Amino acid sequence: MLDETKLKSVIAAILEIDENSVDQNTSMDNVESWDSIKHMDLILAIEEEFGVSVPDEEAADLTSYALIKLVVADLVKDKG
Amino acid sequence: MSTNDRASARALLADPAASFLQVQKSVAFLEKTEDGLKDVTLGLSSNVQVDRLALYLRRHALLAGVRLRVQIGLYDSVAQDVETFVQAGVDVLLVVPFFDNLMPAFEAQIAAGLDDAVIAAKGEELAERYRLALAAAQPIPTVLVGQFHRTWPSAQPRQPDRVSTVLQTFQEMLANVVAEATPAALFDMPGILTDVGLSAAIDRRFYAQAKAPYALPMLNEIGRRTAKATRAYGTYFYKVLALDCDNTLWGGVVGEDLVEGIKLSPFEYPGNVYWRAQQEFLGLERAGVILCLCTKNNPADVEEVLSRHPDMPIRSENLTIRKINWDDKSTNLRAIATELNVGLDSIVFLDDSSFELEGVQSQVPAVTVFQVPSALTEYPAVVGDIKALFLAGGVSAESSAKTQQYKQKAAAEALKAQFSSQEDYIASLELEVELLRNAEANVARISELTQKSNQFNLTTRRYTQAEILAAMASEDREVYSLTVKDKFGSAGLTGVGVVRYEDDVVEVEAFLMSCRVIGRGVEFSIWPYIARDAARRGCSRLRGRFVRSAKNNLVEDFFDRLGLAPEETSEGERTYVTPLATLEKQQSQWIKIHYAG
Repeated sequence: MLDETKLKSVIAAILEIDENSVDQNTSMDNVESWDSIKHMDLILAIEEEFGVSVPDEEAADLTSYALIKLVVADLVKDKG
Repeated sequence: MSTNDRASARALLADPAASFLQVQKSVAFLEKTEDGLKDVTLGLSSNVQVDRLALYLRRHALLAGVRLRVQIGLYDSVAQDVETFVQAGVDVLLVVPFFDNLMPAFEAQIAAGLDDAVIAAKGEELAERYRLALAAAQPIPTVLVGQFHRTWPSAQPRQPDRVSTVLQTFQEMLANVVAEATPAALFDMPGILTDVGLSAAIDRRFYAQAKAPYALPMLNEIGRRTAKATRAYGTYFYKVLALDCDNTLWGGVVGEDLVEGIKLSPFEYPGNVYWRAQQEFLGLERAGVILCLCTKNNPADVEEVLSRHPDMPIRSENLTIRKINWDDKSTNLRAIATELNVGLDSIVFLDDSSFELEGVQSQVPAVTVFQVPSALTEYPAVVGDIKALFLAGGVSAESSAKTQQYKQKAAAEALKAQFSSQEDYIASLELEVELLRNAEANVARISELTQKSNQFNLTTRRYTQAEILAAMASEDREVYSLTVKDKFGSAGLTGVGVVRYEDDVVEVEAFLMSCRVIGRGVEFSIWPYIARDAARRGCSRLRGRFVRSAKNNLVEDFFDRLGLAPEETSEGERTYVTPLATLEKQQSQWIKIHYAG
């Protein structure tokens, strides 16, 4: 099971936004601080905090909370 | 937020295993909540994407009590970055040129046979660009330029490949450009890479996707060493290494094992570990660090080891002060500070005993302590940390000669006891002072002295080399420096005065001396010459200023003693003024002054 609270807090910490403001609609399009540099930071942090490795082909597509949640949930499940 | 939160954030900062997110959170939190942080700004310029480095620079700055604001330059625009940073008044400039990205996949292109002429042209263009950028960076007090390194391993273990050959040429070019651009210094990126390991240092994924080549372990190490290379952004300057003896300089306890029984053989374990450590300490002494003993032993035992043990690398002549007694170590460290005229915060103390170290930490917390690890094979790593504290910020040639001078002072102290009066004694020293005006050759030492002198320092104004050069070149300012010599030898360049002419007043902007030459009247002897220069410039009065700092009580009444009349007093500051005529007669008649004028 994916710990959504933890995922939100990771995203909030990296993007330096309020944890409560992270929801299904949060995306690169509506968070000002979410640029390509922060995007790399986000991937790094998710990999470290969830002990997963985000495949290259997925990394660039993780542009919203909804997408991140889907992919990370899969990765965590695969890890067993 | 509670102090508990701060303590745990601090612990995370110091924890090498902390994750990226933990570091990010702790840094952001502490920068907001810690009290008493020193604010420093750093400009970062590179031809690759290094934004993430900012976090790790800030991490290691915070560990030293510094809130570092990192300003990141544009992509591959060192000249423009320098201009922006100079305007913004940054304190430190860190340039990280990345070899493999000088041209797309540069290493692969070289291997593929890129034309020698193209490579040479690239090298020349780069040299010119850096020469201009670094010349423009003169106003920035500290400039570090990362040396080139390779990004991809060589496939040829049997001989250097073409990439190595070209890399070496480029490294030499960059080293030359940096050497010309004093006070810029080369930053040892290849050394960091060797420590981190190429495969751990380079993030192949982000390098390919976003030209962000450095992985977190590499960024962290760059951050750590930048702090070291800047003496934690100017927060420390260590001068003295005080050493325990038993189980620190040698294995065993000399009082029990006797001179023959202590472990110090260069050929056998564990003696070889101690022997190596002593060689490293001698290396520090050679670089200008003052070595002292601070140890609980019978003096005769230790003196016997120093004079008679065949394998002892350190001898008495390497030790400026030997405190060998049964007193508290904190008492002895205080005495060392007093005798050498240095602050306790410039002393590093090494001992194997937790008990002694705790005592020192509680009694004299300003002293930095290190412990010989109980796992003895880790001792060289501790010695490495100590070396970095003393050496990573750079060594000037004058500093290396300094230890010799402290020893001369100690010899002079011994002579002092033989004379009936202080004046007889001082006269017997045959003191000579060479006074120089705007001596450009001494800029490095002059600047260093303004950075280091705390006690005999009237205004505690710190000058970078660039600022000293500017003052020397200026029409209305002069920089005086003085070199003191007595019959025991030269004390080197040990005094600096900066004056500014304004209408009919010559104002003393800075006056400071190394504490190792004070108490002999030198500080009062030079003023007739400064006054004469000022009179020639049309001045009629001299104004002095005392700005109080935490450490300069020593010179609180300096201008009173020089004969100046108090003018204005305000919080922490006093000004004095006097007609130049009152300075005409040389005080301290026993000193012979050489001044070309």
